[in-house]
Amino acid sequence: MTLIAARPGPGAARPYRFPQVVRRTVAGGQVVAAHLPGQNLAVALLLLDAGAGREPVGRDGVGGVLAKALEEGTAQRDATAYALAIEALGTELVTGLDWDSFQVSVQVPVERLSAAVELLAEAVRTPRLDPADVRRVRDDEATALRMDWANPGPRADAALRADLFGADNRWGRPMYGDPETVAGLDVDDVTVFHSEWFIRPGTLIVAGDLERTDLDALAATAFAGAGGGPVERGGPIEVPLHERRRIILVDRPGSVQSTLRLGHPSPHRAHPDHVPMTLAGTVLGGAFTSRLNHLIREVRGYTYGIRGDFASSRRFGRFAVSSGVQNAVTAPALVEAVGEITRTQVTGVTEDELAVARSWRAGQLSVELQSPRSIAGALTTLVVHDLPDDYHARLRESLLAADVDQVAAAAATHLHPESLTLVVEGDAAVVRDELVATGLGEVVDHQH
Amino acid sequence: MPDSGYPWPIETTRLDNGLRVVVSEDRTAPAVAVNLWYDVGSRHEPAGQTGFAHLFEHLMFEGSANVAKTEHMKFIQGAGGSLNATTNPDRTNYFEMVPAEHLELALWLEADRMGGLVPALTQETLDNQREVVKNERRQRYENVPYGDSWLRLLPLLYPPGHPYHHATIGSMADLNVADLATFQAFHTTYYAPNNAVLTVVGDAEPPEVFALADKYFGAISARDDIPSAPDGRTVPATGRPAVETVTADVPAPRVYVAHRTHPYGTPGYDVTTVLATVLGTGRGSRLYQRLADGERIAQPDLVGAYGVDLAHGPAPLIATATARPGVTAERLRTGLTDVVDELATVPVTAAELDRAKALLSTQWWRHMSTVDGRADVLGRYATQFGDPAKIGERLPAWLAVTAEQIAEQAAELLGAADRATLTYLPEETS
Repeated sequence: MTLIAARPGPGAARPYRFPQVVRRTVAGGQVVAAHLPGQNLAVALLLLDAGAGREPVGRDGVGGVLAKALEEGTAQRDATAYALAIEALGTELVTGLDWDSFQVSVQVPVERLSAAVELLAEAVRTPRLDPADVRRVRDDEATALRMDWANPGPRADAALRADLFGADNRWGRPMYGDPETVAGLDVDDVTVFHSEWFIRPGTLIVAGDLERTDLDALAATAFAGAGGGPVERGGPIEVPLHERRRIILVDRPGSVQSTLRLGHPSPHRAHPDHVPMTLAGTVLGGAFTSRLNHLIREVRGYTYGIRGDFASSRRFGRFAVSSGVQNAVTAPALVEAVGEITRTQVTGVTEDELAVARSWRAGQLSVELQSPRSIAGALTTLVVHDLPDDYHARLRESLLAADVDQVAAAAATHLHPESLTLVVEGDAAVVRDELVATGLGEVVDHQH
Repeated sequence: MPDSGYPWPIETTRLDNGLRVVVSEDRTAPAVAVNLWYDVGSRHEPAGQTGFAHLFEHLMFEGSANVAKTEHMKFIQGAGGSLNATTNPDRTNYFEMVPAEHLELALWLEADRMGGLVPALTQETLDNQREVVKNERRQRYENVPYGDSWLRLLPLLYPPGHPYHHATIGSMADLNVADLATFQAFHTTYYAPNNAVLTVVGDAEPPEVFALADKYFGAISARDDIPSAPDGRTVPATGRPAVETVTADVPAPRVYVAHRTHPYGTPGYDVTTVLATVLGTGRGSRLYQRLADGERIAQPDLVGAYGVDLAHGPAPLIATATARPGVTAERLRTGLTDVVDELATVPVTAAELDRAKALLSTQWWRHMSTVDGRADVLGRYATQFGDPAKIGERLPAWLAVTAEQIAEQAAELLGAADRATLTYLPEETS
């Protein structure tokens, strides 16, 4: 047989165009929509300025409890009737929250969008919040978190976050709260959070065939009865770096792998280095071909996968690496990961690596932004970060234009291998001595 | 409601070497999905070689005749694409989604590893990927609470010798003895053009794709003696329930109730799909209403039911619930089995049926909303049912299922004697 040896080059480029964006002010709220001609499915998403960053310290997780309590009955109907009404349309109420926003959405065939948005608004604006239901939902959420925290990862994440940002700050505590904070919430915490943040109009995001959609009518439904203006969101938070590296050991007796979380603070989302930082993170740990995955997985076989990236919200950011490695290689995996971070900080990136990283990031914009759900997510980014309609087109250009010097400079400035916190969640009795012997930093046992 | 679940064009051809090519053009976005289904999965693995089909999948990313180690990923990501592969009991599939101008690159890479993997396969690569897969097993099955439930359910449902008896991830012992010659033979045996379907969906014209397929894959030889997997279509009833109770480091009691139903793609399995949605999808489902909301013995986020879409034997239907604090495994198990039993005795109402069909319709269109989602199902239908156009029949078939058919299937297949029950108990309460 004869295989063709030469790698084919690309054909004529077919540029990606982000769908046409429509912005309107209706009934005191904002509407941001994308037109997807011919698409049978549509997504409507109500975006509220009620992210975890709005939760009072010590009330961590109140937004998650409220999200579940929204479906425990409304002014018009009980929980069962609500579930049957919304599921009869073929959708479920999908809620989500991050540091900057709370999102609640429906995804339905476009002809049912209006009915689905009515039900969405009914739950968000007029939930029953019966005290007995709220207490039960709180207990269920605490149990769900306890179940989740039995998996490797959440405890390591919490230890890293607390060490980076300080557990006295809301942003130094887990985004969804922890089993104890959620168990300690009372009914008033939930109802007050609702009246403070869920009555403001917010922004209605719509992705779908707008020729079959009445945006004004949807908005009137979503914003009916809402009131109150936007609230100051606060500027970027200065987070100091640690003076020296440290290892935090989170004991998980009997673990057959060590869960690794390495990190340090990094700039907020609007920082001018956002694009070169993203590319430096991509070369180091953001893709399968990255330095970390290549060395730790493909050369050493220590892990199923290792990833690293810069992530940022409006007020703060962090660089973090995560992986799970078998017990016996915990120490060498950690040493080699720190080595790759250091090498990237000191020597930057090569043109070959950067070529892959920038094409990949740019190409993903056209490859991933297809479904109504993903387009709605992209519109959400525009709103949360105050970005213009042509943001995605401009992002593509700036990704493709970033050169080696810019990316190396971003790596040099924003990677801090000497300030890393190295969290290891694993069988402490098995791995402690080897961690001490690495000399990477003082080993501290996590107290919890 | 449309008459078809697939309102896009489908064109097919077959190369002289037997490779089937399916193209579905859609110029909405300048991207193409390329998907290869190979008709080989863990059901083909003999005793002592469990996990080999999946480990082999990993080796397909490590270089081939004209592609050096690490280049496969680098070329696709350098073109702005994403890629992956999955192995299950039935089949192995490999897929890329790339900006449309890089279609030819994706076809070249797929052809090179279909026709030229063996010369590039080394002991070093095998040893490295064996360790990666063992870490995958640790991470996904061993180091998480209830992580081994699927590994335990399969042997309860399927007897030794049945192609679904063992899980795709395989055993550590078998993975440890995997040798290079076995994998070279595995490729030669199964990775032939006449054992595969190439599907391209998106911004590409069928004649162009057919010509490129012939250019890159046309010279690869067919193989005429591809061995089939053991026949798994019938599973003799034992007349006795299968029961296993595990005491492990888990945070709460959990129960799985599983049954063998019909193969995916049959009218019987369409009934199973709707039945599973009535039983266990959403807050309006019977399990949620009865166990999470009504009696409040199950944790709301962890109650549900689903079918596992396997096509070469009676596919599993699994219902599961996890106890709320203070609820015993026994009470939870009784509650769960009562709800399953009632599918045969308490008729499904029109509202329940409409709810399930509405949810299934949205799920279907969501899957169809991306070119990669469409490519995967077209590949499945061409591979398993011989005709990708049959994809259009699935959604209408779900929507035609009746309450009587659900009650009949429940009476026929979901009885106590045909039930596998797996219970996890936390260590401290044992």
